[in-house]
Amino acid sequence: MNVVLTPAMLGQVVVSGLLAGALYSMVALGLALIFGVMRVINIAHGPMLMLGAYTTWILFDRFGMNPYLTLPLSAAVMFLLGALLQRTLVFRVVDAPELSSLLLTFGVSIALVNIAQLVFTSDLRSVEFLTGSIALGPIALSKSRLIACAFAAAITALAFLFLQKTRLGKAIRATSQSREVAMVCGIDVQRIHLISFGIACALAACGGTLVAVMVAIQPEMGQIWTFKSFLVIVLGGAGNYPGALLGGLLLGLIEQLSSLFLTTQLSEAVAYVLLVLALLVRPSGLLGGRQT
Amino acid sequence: MTRGRTFVGALALLAVALAVYPLFGTGYGVRSMLQLFMWVALASSWNLISGLTGYVSFGHVAFFGAGAYTTGILVTGAGWPWPAAALAGGVAGAALALLIGVPCLRLKGPYFAIAMLGLNEVLRALVSYFEGLTGGGNGLSFPTRHATVPIYYAMAFTAAVVIGMTYLVITSRFGLRLMTIREDEVAAEAMGIDTFRHKLYAFLLSAVGPGIVGGLAARDQGYIEPMSVFPLATTITMIVMVLFGGKGTVWGPVLGAVLLFVFQEVVWSHFIYLHQLLFGAIIVAVVLLMPRGVLGLLQIRYRLPRTI
Repeated sequence: MNVVLTPAMLGQVVVSGLLAGALYSMVALGLALIFGVMRVINIAHGPMLMLGAYTTWILFDRFGMNPYLTLPLSAAVMFLLGALLQRTLVFRVVDAPELSSLLLTFGVSIALVNIAQLVFTSDLRSVEFLTGSIALGPIALSKSRLIACAFAAAITALAFLFLQKTRLGKAIRATSQSREVAMVCGIDVQRIHLISFGIACALAACGGTLVAVMVAIQPEMGQIWTFKSFLVIVLGGAGNYPGALLGGLLLGLIEQLSSLFLTTQLSEAVAYVLLVLALLVRPSGLLGGRQT
Repeated sequence: MTRGRTFVGALALLAVALAVYPLFGTGYGVRSMLQLFMWVALASSWNLISGLTGYVSFGHVAFFGAGAYTTGILVTGAGWPWPAAALAGGVAGAALALLIGVPCLRLKGPYFAIAMLGLNEVLRALVSYFEGLTGGGNGLSFPTRHATVPIYYAMAFTAAVVIGMTYLVITSRFGLRLMTIREDEVAAEAMGIDTFRHKLYAFLLSAVGPGIVGGLAARDQGYIEPMSVFPLATTITMIVMVLFGGKGTVWGPVLGAVLLFVFQEVVWSHFIYLHQLLFGAIIVAVVLLMPRGVLGLLQIRYRLPRTI
């Protein structure tokens, strides 16, 4: 295939890549948070995003709400669901071998997808709210993606501010650095686990809300987000919160760049090859070890 | 000792019964048994890597699909006889496992599990993309031939070999080392076990069975397409069977496969919409309440040996 790269095309790719990347960063930050604090990879992270998307769809479809205004609602619902999941099931496997937590969240994940199929059916649903695009010189930008990026950037910034400045945020970071020392300092680690899981699911739900406006939603849309979020934290370094930001943007850029040369069918394969390469070359992530 | 002898005798009797079954059984019965053998082989194979080393493979159906497509291409494209093509499917499974295992098994932690979670989707995309070889979304049709009975024997043989291999592995030093890795990988390394090499060998062994079974199932169905040979549901079923029966043992996966297969045929076919929900609930319940599965309960009740 002979592709002539014009500066306009490159600009388009870079901008679309960053737009998608901001969303990846936000969703992956949730997965990184759970992994950092509890050493658990939540396979149900993507299905949480899917449920967030459906929350938005219901509020939009039944009550005619502006989808962007459903964001706090969807986040709150998933925060509660996440906290409930942690309190009832996940806390039992936090100290168990990895096999237990992986299998448990996997079981939860397939159950959630099945419940969504029962409740919402497998029909494609869409939130037709903002369509069309705006032109910036030679670069065309879809409105919904632009707004999604703005929201994602703002929410991620808020999440970092929360982690850096508030007492609770500091307690979360302390717990992910060392649970024992955090306990000795008088931090209620169980509570931190609960809140972190809730926040992580809320971040996934925000992703779901924003994605719902961009593409059609269906019960099985979630799994690929678990995979991509994991890829992002591998790129950034597992347990490294700023790394998740960098990893997300990088994934967005690489996916868009590869779409210049390959058909979209193969774009998932690109993400996969990227994961395998990252594990071979720099298993500790681009930014290296843990940095919370 | 006498108990052991009774067990071997019962096994031999069962083997004879299964060997003559196609002479008497109905077409439906033979086909059901063939499917059961398939699940026994798949579950036992998954057990070899995940049950023994504790490295969870969320994408074992990828080897099944790789085997199915290798067989399909060799039979339809190169005119190979199906038994040879199915064996080539097993080789393809192992080759794929080598490709994935070398980068992903070097590391501890969840990397391997997630890499396997993505593998399936990638293979499906690749198979759809390379239309010239695989027929893309149109799939591949095998030349018509009724070979259900030979495939029944081939499938039974494969299942028996996988069970036998599991027995050999579990009762060997190699198996002991694998279980050491599962219990404490750092300690295993400190004792001088080359953990990467051991995990990789276990992974390769676990990929051969599904490759062969995939090839046999493809020949039996006579038609393959990307959606039918890479379903996530197959991986889920394998995992549920092993967990339910008892992971890390020889007979646990077999027991789980038989019990769940019968349940599936008799009861759950009426609740097809709830299938995944039930499986999800079983996984959660087994992980939390009976990590040793049904066999674990039997072992405690009847004082059976723990690993076999």
